[in-house]
Amino acid sequence: MSETMNIEEYLAQGGVLTAPENVPARYRGELLRLMSSFVDSELAASAGFAASINYAPGIKERIAASRITLEKADHAERVLSVMADFGTDTARYETQHDWAARVGRDEDLGGTRTGGDMRLSVLHYPITGWIDAVVLNVLQGLATGVQMTELTRVSYAPLAEVFRDIAPREARHAELGLEGLERIAANDPDAARASIAYWQLRVAVGFGCLASTRYDILARFGLRHTPNETLLARWQALVTERLAAIGL
Amino acid sequence: MARFHPLKVTDVRRETRDAVVVTLAPRDEDRALFDFTQGQYLTFRRDFDGEELRRSYSICAGLDEGCLKVGIKRVDGGAFSTWANENLAPGDEIDAMPPMGKFYTPIEAGAEKQYLGFAGGSGITPLLSIIKTVLAREPGSQFTLVYANRQINTIMFREELDDLKNLYLGRFSVIHVLEQEGQEIDLFTGRIDADKMTALFQHWLDAKSIDTAFICGPEPMMLAIAGSLKEHGLTEAQIKFELFASGQHGRAKARAVSRDAIVPGAGTAATVTLDGATRSFEMARQGETILDAAIANNMDAPYSCKAGVCSTCRCKVIEGEVEMAVNHALEDYEVRAGYVLSCQAYPLSERVVVSYDE
Repeated sequence: MSETMNIEEYLAQGGVLTAPENVPARYRGELLRLMSSFVDSELAASAGFAASINYAPGIKERIAASRITLEKADHAERVLSVMADFGTDTARYETQHDWAARVGRDEDLGGTRTGGDMRLSVLHYPITGWIDAVVLNVLQGLATGVQMTELTRVSYAPLAEVFRDIAPREARHAELGLEGLERIAANDPDAARASIAYWQLRVAVGFGCLASTRYDILARFGLRHTPNETLLARWQALVTERLAAIGL
Repeated sequence: MARFHPLKVTDVRRETRDAVVVTLAPRDEDRALFDFTQGQYLTFRRDFDGEELRRSYSICAGLDEGCLKVGIKRVDGGAFSTWANENLAPGDEIDAMPPMGKFYTPIEAGAEKQYLGFAGGSGITPLLSIIKTVLAREPGSQFTLVYANRQINTIMFREELDDLKNLYLGRFSVIHVLEQEGQEIDLFTGRIDADKMTALFQHWLDAKSIDTAFICGPEPMMLAIAGSLKEHGLTEAQIKFELFASGQHGRAKARAVSRDAIVPGAGTAATVTLDGATRSFEMARQGETILDAAIANNMDAPYSCKAGVCSTCRCKVIEGEVEMAVNHALEDYEVRAGYVLSCQAYPLSERVVVSYDE
């Protein structure tokens, strides 16, 4: 069985890579970029949610917010440990940025990465209170659920496995948010709607450029399978359905 | 950062004409570091004519053997595997990193699982470790191995597998598929491709009963088997892959010697290759990194932390001299081979040629 094939051809046909040693240079760069974007986003999300624990109106909500804060940091750590196999200095990486830093509420960042880290741009905006925190968690949580259908299929097996472990817990974060939002919708639907109007566009930006050229490269490497447009449409449909179900 | 530790060679056994099994022992103080999980591999390093080569080989010992063993098959033109097959002897020392790899599922003593393994050639090494461990530590589980080889005399661990069949009667079965030798059953002759997989599922394997499948072999075989397993209803999470050693990079070329004199000056002519496209531009000699210059010239170069920590922006210097401000991510051998972190790399010479594709 000495028959072998070119590694790019293998990837294009759906092949899976299993160790840093069998990863080509360009694949390595894109894989690390994908992982650091996830790690930075989780750390920024965790840091942002930490403050929301004190906005929580009751013990149940306080526990939910604490759990989300804890688990997002844990997910960041798991992916960072895959980066470490490629040489990333994890101790330095964790302290590289101020993960709690936020811009002004009304600034417009568009889709650009700012402040030196690779977090999704939506995670640069500040949360203003409990309703705001719940709404962001629901909208971004549903987006993460859609993104997870991509991430759990990435062609680097050790990372795909981490994402398969993480996915159900991320889904639970969104569910916790929806339970909270249902209570808010019953008491203060106007505040919920205002917050949805603020966050919806900003979360949508996180799906990336439409007709992205980088997507083609990532698809060839088996790091992506579904175009940004399709994922965005899937998320929009999901948001409409879930919000309608609770009267928003 | 992963570190190397010396292992003492305690035994070298010839397994087939072109494969050896090497038994290794860590120093007492390193013993805990070299505790392994079934299916993991060791990465070795050795200097060949002044150039460091690193090669990974799977551990073939089960957890209950109390030692480290790797199987090394000689690859044509492979400096490391040839050296191991011809020169390695008891008493030698060799540097290795602690065991790595995720080619396993957790052992549960009470489990009653059906495992299916596919090995191509020396892809048997991690599977042997898994098979021995699972059979010993999960008394309720069963394992079926489909093992592809060119011919009978190249089959690694043939006797050991036979012994395991006898030891674990009814719980372990092996289907040998031989490329060049006819067998009583036609199905077991040839290569494992999509058709053969379909036939195996028709006559020999029950897809529905399988809990986990392990595949280790060359790329085309992995594709054919994974495709067929999915067609027969297995999910991605049920299939564990380990890409064969052939996927490792060839011999790293030594860094090109600079032909440019390092002369003082304000500008550098930079040439950058990314995704097969090459772009040339002028950049400042000071105050601008190669990464920033590439991005300023509309190249979608990969980066993340921009602080020399994550290594996303790694590229290779083909010609010219550059200097890194900091480096927390690349190891010495990568730097010697010409790799730099482009977010930290400032040009020193009049001309610099770098590539993100190598």
